Amino acid sequence: MKNLILKILGGISLTSVLFVFQACYGTPQDMEQDNQFEGVVKSKASGNVIKGIKVKTNFEGRQVYTNESGEFNIFLPLADQYKLTFEDADSTLNGSFASYDTVITDVPGYVRLDILLQPK
Amino acid sequence: MTRSIARFLFRRFRKLETDVHPLNYLFWECTTCCNLSCLHCGSDCSMNSQMPDMPLPDFLGAIDTIKSKSLITVVLTGGEPLLRRDLEECGRQIRKRGMRWGMVSNGYLYNEERHNALLGAGMGALTISLDGLEVSHNWLRNTAGSFDRAVQAITLAASSSRLNFDVVTCVNPRNIGELDEIYDLLLSRRVKAWRLFTIAPIGRAESNRELLLTGDSFRQLMEFIAEKRTLKQMDVKFSCESYTGPYETRVCDGYFFCRAGINIGSILADGSISACPNIDHSFVQGNIYRDNFFDVWQHRYGDFRNRQWARRGKCADCKEFKDCLGNGLHLWHGDKENVLVCYNDYLQKN
Repeated sequence: MKNLILKILGGISLTSVLFVFQACYGTPQDMEQDNQFEGVVKSKASGNVIKGIKVKTNFEGRQVYTNESGEFNIFLPLADQYKLTFEDADSTLNGSFASYDTVITDVPGYVRLDILLQPK
Repeated sequence: MTRSIARFLFRRFRKLETDVHPLNYLFWECTTCCNLSCLHCGSDCSMNSQMPDMPLPDFLGAIDTIKSKSLITVVLTGGEPLLRRDLEECGRQIRKRGMRWGMVSNGYLYNEERHNALLGAGMGALTISLDGLEVSHNWLRNTAGSFDRAVQAITLAASSSRLNFDVVTCVNPRNIGELDEIYDLLLSRRVKAWRLFTIAPIGRAESNRELLLTGDSFRQLMEFIAEKRTLKQMDVKFSCESYTGPYETRVCDGYFFCRAGINIGSILADGSISACPNIDHSFVQGNIYRDNFFDVWQHRYGDFRNRQWARRGKCADCKEFKDCLGNGLHLWHGDKENVLVCYNDYLQKN
């Protein structure tokens, strides 16, 4: 009930800034939408996770590498279509794998990907 | 008449908001190390800080006590957050918990690679400091070349449509004559939002009176902001640091409301639980290494949520206390016998 009264009072006494405020020495608040892509990269032959795989996106400069557990996680701005490319970036250090592309459309906010890379 | 009604409703809103005190803004002082040594630093941070950075799991353990996280923005501050090597992992873990995150930076280490890495880790808000044109910025930041680095960082950040980004400027006697040129510079870099501060006599600025604005120059600042706001080219505003009397709503989006301890909490580098990081340490409400963070948020913070104790010193008989409530809480230090700054007082006397 108090929350409802707060919204009504806030709305008629001034503006929505009453709810979207900014602390003196802080940043603006973040209310924007974006999409999260996360998953794990494994060898198609052995099923083992692969670390050090570069996950490139169709947003310039936006890329991550898989960690020790073969996992990756990246946030990207809203778009109609996403292209993710998985590249073996460390030569033969963790095996040698062929690159793989995937195109994703209609992203609902979060996408989980399990990627299998073919050994060369 | 309309203004009186708006004021009345706003006071009601503020009272209810205080009663409910929803946490939706959480500072994390993730490091006290800093690569600059600014003359006005409120935290007295430096490269030689002896305090170790709080380990990420300690911070996560504290925020995991919060029941409803979806409307909270975590703001990483310092020191300089970019000095934390696990900054991107910190951000990812915060987003994983359904919270948003942002960072306050001096911009010196903010380059394209870091920009992309931080956006990829879900950073949604960023504030970078620019404290004047080249000479005055480098002087206040106490580092040659810091102006160029800050402008590069600002240009990069402003290029992102995803980021909620703004520039902050600490206005002082050396840069107040440069505000028009800074405004033009920011416009040329496509900056959409600019917040202007004064420097409070706390931290290193306590012993450096040449950093503080006088009554005349404060009015000049208010007039500058009010004029630029009418142009609607950029979202220019005075920070929420202080009650501005006759300039209320002309220099910012709403009435003054110090939300420290009402909507704003903090976890400081040593685990202390407080509100804005520049608030005096005597206001600390607990420590994450002893207390349940959310329990402290829900049940303590008495001096933050009932400001009647501030009716003392020059606030004792002030007719505007009901609107100001003793100004920003960061302006009460030491023995708390008097508020450190009252800009309304300056304006009335000038």
